[in-house]
Amino acid sequence: MISKEQIQQEIEKTLDSLNSVKRAQANPFLFTRIKARMNKKADGWEGVFSFISKPAIAVAILLLVMAVNGWALWDGSGETATADSSNASVSELASEYNTVASVNNYDYENMTNE
Amino acid sequence: MSNETELIERLKQGDESAFKVIVEQWQDMVYNTILGIVQNETEAEDLAQDVFIKVFEKISTFKGDSKFSTWLYRIATTTALDHLRSKKRKKRFGFLQSLGGGGSEEKEQVPDFHHPGISLDNKERSAVLFKAIDALPENQKAAYTLHKLEGLSYRDVSEVLNTTVSAVESLMSRANQNLRKQLEDYYNKHYR
Repeated sequence: MISKEQIQQEIEKTLDSLNSVKRAQANPFLFTRIKARMNKKADGWEGVFSFISKPAIAVAILLLVMAVNGWALWDGSGETATADSSNASVSELASEYNTVASVNNYDYENMTNE
Repeated sequence: MSNETELIERLKQGDESAFKVIVEQWQDMVYNTILGIVQNETEAEDLAQDVFIKVFEKISTFKGDSKFSTWLYRIATTTALDHLRSKKRKKRFGFLQSLGGGGSEEKEQVPDFHHPGISLDNKERSAVLFKAIDALPENQKAAYTLHKLEGLSYRDVSEVLNTTVSAVESLMSRANQNLRKQLEDYYNKHYR
């Protein structure tokens, strides 16, 4: 068993153990490693840019973008036609059952069959 | 124009030889600061590289309002603390995974950290102290490391941490209290 004073002495000695600490030294090849990492980073982007800037790839990307745009436009107009036809079938259905075409949730209570 | 200002100007122009001089001049300071905070030599070296890459990329934002060394200490401290936060997040995620049965349930054993600048006769004591420092809240840990390991004055620490001198005094006082409490627990258990 150790006394309270002895524990306090241990604490003080431990806290003082950093008083004479010397600065840790970095790896002497740190700059070489930094340069290697920076070059690798730059090569990565350069690789991407040089691939994209090849004429065949550039034209292919352009055609692809135009095709996607064209498809989006064609698809958009098709959707309007579909919407129109679905509205038409709703009104057909409504007239068939002799009900109001614009039925919504709130209309359920007031629905009348003539 | 001082040598330091000239170097910074040359680095802003993208001069690689200026960058080399800057790295060689400040590498020990950056490495020692990071090492004190992360307490792992391999991680500290990787982070020191990150710091200098950030310096190279962000030098245009350095306006000279503070000392270059203060700016460098700030980047080093922030990088080290960010690294600790991300490590903590990963550890928490690993713990959740282990609860879900997805990961290993073995508890990671953190080895004692021995700072290379500590004399042999203080090696064991300082390992106990570093373990206690590691448990401090991050702003206390940063202040304590900058003051004790880098020998910065409270004023310099306050500039690095972008706070007041009295706030640093308070951080240091709380850090010392926390360390004493932890060491007391440690020695009470150790000598029981």
